[in-house]
Amino acid sequence: MTEERRPIPLKRLPRTGAVRPLALLAPALIVVLVLFGGGLILGLPQSLGYLPAAGMSKISLKHFQRVLFDPDFFSSLGLTLYVAGVSTLIAAALSLLAAMALVESPRWLLFIFQIPLTVPHLVIAIAMAFLLAPSGMVARLFQNLGWISGPGDFPLLINDPFCIGILLTYVWKEIPFMTLMILSALKNSGMEMLDVGRTLNAGPWQRFRYILLPILLPSLGAAGLIVFAYTFGAFEVPYLLGQTYPMSLPVWAYRNYSDVDLAARPEGIAIGIVIAVGVTGCIIASQRLARGQKRRGTVF
Amino acid sequence: MGELILDRLILRFGRRTVVEDFSLKVADGELVSILGPSGVGKTSILKAVAGLLQPAGGKILLDGRPLIGTAPEKRPAVMVFQKPLLFPFLNVEQNIAFGLRMRRLADSKIRRDIASIMELTRLTGLGRRRIHELSGGQQQRVSLARALVVKPAVLLLDEPLSNLDADLRQQMRDLIHKIQARTRITTLFVTHDQAEALAISHRVALLLEGRLRQVGSPRELFHRPADPEVARFFGGTNFLEGRFEKGALHTQVGVFPLPGFNGNGHRLTATIRPEDIVIRERGPYDLEGRVVRTRFEGMATRVWVQSGNTLLVVLTPDSRLTPGQRVRMHLPPEKIHVFPPPPDERRA
Repeated sequence: MTEERRPIPLKRLPRTGAVRPLALLAPALIVVLVLFGGGLILGLPQSLGYLPAAGMSKISLKHFQRVLFDPDFFSSLGLTLYVAGVSTLIAAALSLLAAMALVESPRWLLFIFQIPLTVPHLVIAIAMAFLLAPSGMVARLFQNLGWISGPGDFPLLINDPFCIGILLTYVWKEIPFMTLMILSALKNSGMEMLDVGRTLNAGPWQRFRYILLPILLPSLGAAGLIVFAYTFGAFEVPYLLGQTYPMSLPVWAYRNYSDVDLAARPEGIAIGIVIAVGVTGCIIASQRLARGQKRRGTVF
Repeated sequence: MGELILDRLILRFGRRTVVEDFSLKVADGELVSILGPSGVGKTSILKAVAGLLQPAGGKILLDGRPLIGTAPEKRPAVMVFQKPLLFPFLNVEQNIAFGLRMRRLADSKIRRDIASIMELTRLTGLGRRRIHELSGGQQQRVSLARALVVKPAVLLLDEPLSNLDADLRQQMRDLIHKIQARTRITTLFVTHDQAEALAISHRVALLLEGRLRQVGSPRELFHRPADPEVARFFGGTNFLEGRFEKGALHTQVGVFPLPGFNGNGHRLTATIRPEDIVIRERGPYDLEGRVVRTRFEGMATRVWVQSGNTLLVVLTPDSRLTPGQRVRMHLPPEKIHVFPPPPDERRA
């Protein structure tokens, strides 16, 4: 048998036709660049202390220093990481189960499952407040059923120290997104790989541990990083459903930014830039994971 | 040991029956091909043996033990799929070792078994390669090695060559043939390619429209098809209908002696393969006709000849024939195959 030639690595192939996709993406790219990039360009000098309207024109890193050395920064960062991390982990675990349940389900069921994707976070946060507040619908239902005697007996789920309302909102909202990401990997040979495993004597746990997880982890990781980045930087849900102290980083940034004292604005923007750096890091990591998966996916 | 018996197997998808009353016995160490066009249920049969598809009826026995009801991971049958379906997160060695690791065998045994199977499948030296660094043929060899290394009682090959180009296909076909001859693993090989089935198998089972039409040696199916549909599947195009009288088949185009055939008065259908018809300029001949069309196919030329109201197809090494030309044809009696008449049509 003659030795077969190895395939040419992808990176050696000439890259052609990049202009057309860029042109098609231009409207979306322009919006992102103007709003995100423009905001950064305008915000960066202010975070460095350049705010002539407030009589500040000396550029320094003192506002970053003040933020980073403020004891509240770490409690806010901890709370933000807790909300982003826990909601992402819960959503990831439930998405894994949902994807396995949905992989061979009819299309209409998948369609229903996708509906939460279209509902804004703000709407869900308000719905959660209506449902879970001490005077909310669930509390009233429990009272009518005789399970509690009044709103005071209902556990605190909104504006609570464990951020239950915030977590529920994010979990409910992010599960469909993460499930769809996993589902595409599962449908793309994932189920066939499981069949291969079965005929190679892998039991149910072994199939989950040695086939399903390695196949899904890149997608799950990429989706998880996107969700983590979003929840890390999102403002409206913790603003509506979070406790007053400690505040999440985005809420703290907003409070500083909208303070009547203009001198607090550079610190608000500095917090915003810290958040932007974190979010950008997550997006880059997610892209790397997705690229790695695409490269490995060539064998499918 | 690995004698596999499929007994009156019925396979359904919802209300649609894809395979009906399929019975087949595969002897220990035998390689049987299930041959048929796409969509007739060949893969479903393999999946039923592997346990990936639950039959609606019938039995599957391995060495006399029923397999239905046994989980796929507990069956001594391994399936190689149409796509290599290698685990992209493992290298070549790790892929091959997968089944052995699932059985929790000792590392030293795993290493020995892998080395031996890699040599057998000509993968030596590629153990550390990532899957995306392999060519299509190499990937399919890894897939085969991964199945063989667990020493299954039954090997199920589901069109493993269909995604390869012609050269690689030929090489892999030879490799599978040699490996099967050496390991003597009972093998069910599914393919839609008749040349592949004829070249590789001890026996061929032809499946048409979900029903088993004929089982036999490659020569039997090719030269002695059970009915016109089987003949057509193997490229048979020339069918002669007539009545058998006094040792010959009397058709509209001519009389063909059929020595050794009995059954005066029977209405019969006979066939002769295109390559068995001889076009000759001199000597005795059975039929005359006019060339309607020709197609050069390299080793031979396919010629369509109109004789009376019958169109015959002839495969001849002579590439000089042209449309409109008159030719004489000889149909050697020993090459004419008569189909057994259906019981209700014996004396029409």
